[in-house]
Amino acid sequence: MRSKAWFVFARTPPPMPPPPPPTPRGRLVQTTPNRPVLPVTGASLRRLVMLQKPRSRSRPGAQPGSGSDRDLGASGEVPSGPGRPDASQGSAGALSPSSRPAQATPAPELRTQKQLELKVAELVQFLLIKDQRKIPIKRTGILKHVIRDYKDIFPDLLKLAAERLHYVFGYKLVELEPKSNAYILINTLEPVEEDAEMRGDQGTPTTGLLMIILGLIFMNGQSIPETEVWDFLRRLGVYPTKKHSVFGDPKKLITEDFVRQRYLESRRIPHTDPVDCELQWGPRANLETSKMKVLKFVAKVHNQDPKNWPTQYCEALADEQSRVGPEPSDPVAAS
Amino acid sequence: MQGSTRRVGAMTDVHRRFLQLLMTHGVLEEWEVRRLQNHCYKVHDRNATVDKLEDFISNINSVLESLYIEIKKGATEDDGRPIYALVNLATTSISKMASDFAENELDLFRKALELIVDSETGFASSTNILNLVDQLKGKKMRKKEAEQVLQKFVQSKWLIEKEGEFTLHGRAILEMEQFIRESYPDAVKICNICHSLLIQGQSCETCGIRMHLPCVAKYFQSTSEPRCPHCNDYWPHDIPEVFDPEKEREAGISRSSRKSLRTRQH
Repeated sequence: MRSKAWFVFARTPPPMPPPPPPTPRGRLVQTTPNRPVLPVTGASLRRLVMLQKPRSRSRPGAQPGSGSDRDLGASGEVPSGPGRPDASQGSAGALSPSSRPAQATPAPELRTQKQLELKVAELVQFLLIKDQRKIPIKRTGILKHVIRDYKDIFPDLLKLAAERLHYVFGYKLVELEPKSNAYILINTLEPVEEDAEMRGDQGTPTTGLLMIILGLIFMNGQSIPETEVWDFLRRLGVYPTKKHSVFGDPKKLITEDFVRQRYLESRRIPHTDPVDCELQWGPRANLETSKMKVLKFVAKVHNQDPKNWPTQYCEALADEQSRVGPEPSDPVAAS
Repeated sequence: MQGSTRRVGAMTDVHRRFLQLLMTHGVLEEWEVRRLQNHCYKVHDRNATVDKLEDFISNINSVLESLYIEIKKGATEDDGRPIYALVNLATTSISKMASDFAENELDLFRKALELIVDSETGFASSTNILNLVDQLKGKKMRKKEAEQVLQKFVQSKWLIEKEGEFTLHGRAILEMEQFIRESYPDAVKICNICHSLLIQGQSCETCGIRMHLPCVAKYFQSTSEPRCPHCNDYWPHDIPEVFDPEKEREAGISRSSRKSLRTRQH
């Protein structure tokens, strides 16, 4: 059941993570030779270096056992050798030397710790830039633009990059949907109202609009026809056909940008003329915010208690419970 | 000089929020950085004493080092105000801009950069830059379009415009110093005092050495008769004032209300 008179946007704390800014990505060239390698990644990188095996034969180098379904998927380059590694050999996380038998001659592909460190750095920056656009980062893109001939240790590199992103920046790397092979960054820090004044970009304005739409969808059940969304937005001075001072092209923003960024999903409603679409929450919305947060937003707008909407409140509670349980598909779930 | 492995500091949510918000700016002035730091403390650790900015940044940099990123401090070349930018140390190209600009736009920047580095004054005229529009890689660009692209560069703080001429913004110098020194080793000018890349500055008319304006200000601060540090000839230029953050703050109270932190930049 839809709530009545909304009003103009509350200045609510946007639950969406601030988009990271353009950080560089590019051809890495080794620079000053005297850069000390720091212990925090040093240990994991050293293990990685030690575990590198010649790619041509036998067990794949640091390729983790493919038993775990949390893994990022075999890179497809598992070298044909005498049998595949068994699952007991350890998952994506365990790089313990004890699980690997000693190998013979090191291959020319062995990379130094410095090279690995640079590769992780490149990957971190790539993920930061890509996520800034709010478009899920495809695994194929990562492999093509960053990993390249380090494919055999891709899962480890990604795990290291994810650790760094989390520890240094407070961003969590998660898979958009299970087996989607696309990733997004989630902010582990709660946005705060004053953040908006401290930002250097215009990330925030569209968030208010998105919250309203997520609210409309949730309060209406699971979905809402697009025409009803516009009926509502018109009252706020937002029209599908008119340029808006803050949102620019609201129709494009809602039906294209938000959908492409996976905040919303749009489905044609059959037998409608003119064509109408049904809007639902997209996978990113579920990851970056929650039913409870959206309900609280709606409640705040009306200056009421969320419990005044018992159906939605129960649903939101159930959603909260399920979140405490298994993590959303996390390719680098902590050991 | 492999000696000291710098002790890696610890990141807390204060530092993380600071980094996240810092990343949304291309470049920040020191007072803005302090404000940001205070904000982050307020959010996460209200009762703690705010670290000295230098230590705070140094701590973060020790962690960023393994990612080949650094919060670099510099100064604006015209009046010496301290600025900070998050800089990528691992690339030696102008790839930081690559995600925001098209191929032909990047090439326009490259051309402008080359003219600026080659020039005597550190400025390249709009006309000279626009004349190179035909040589750009990528999609063909008209001069009218190129003018707008140049304005984009000014808005995102890669270039500064003064009376129809363009020079590098402090941000670009912070980001690209290494790249510039490696790409234009013959044309590049270095400050005699601080030994960093010099785009704008003063030069000795006798022996040709150059100095940044803020470096001149500091060096000749309490001298009545300024003389060239290299050849000892009389220094023929006006000596600028040393940047004083206190004076700035008084004058800036009105300015900061005009210019909020949310300036349009990348």
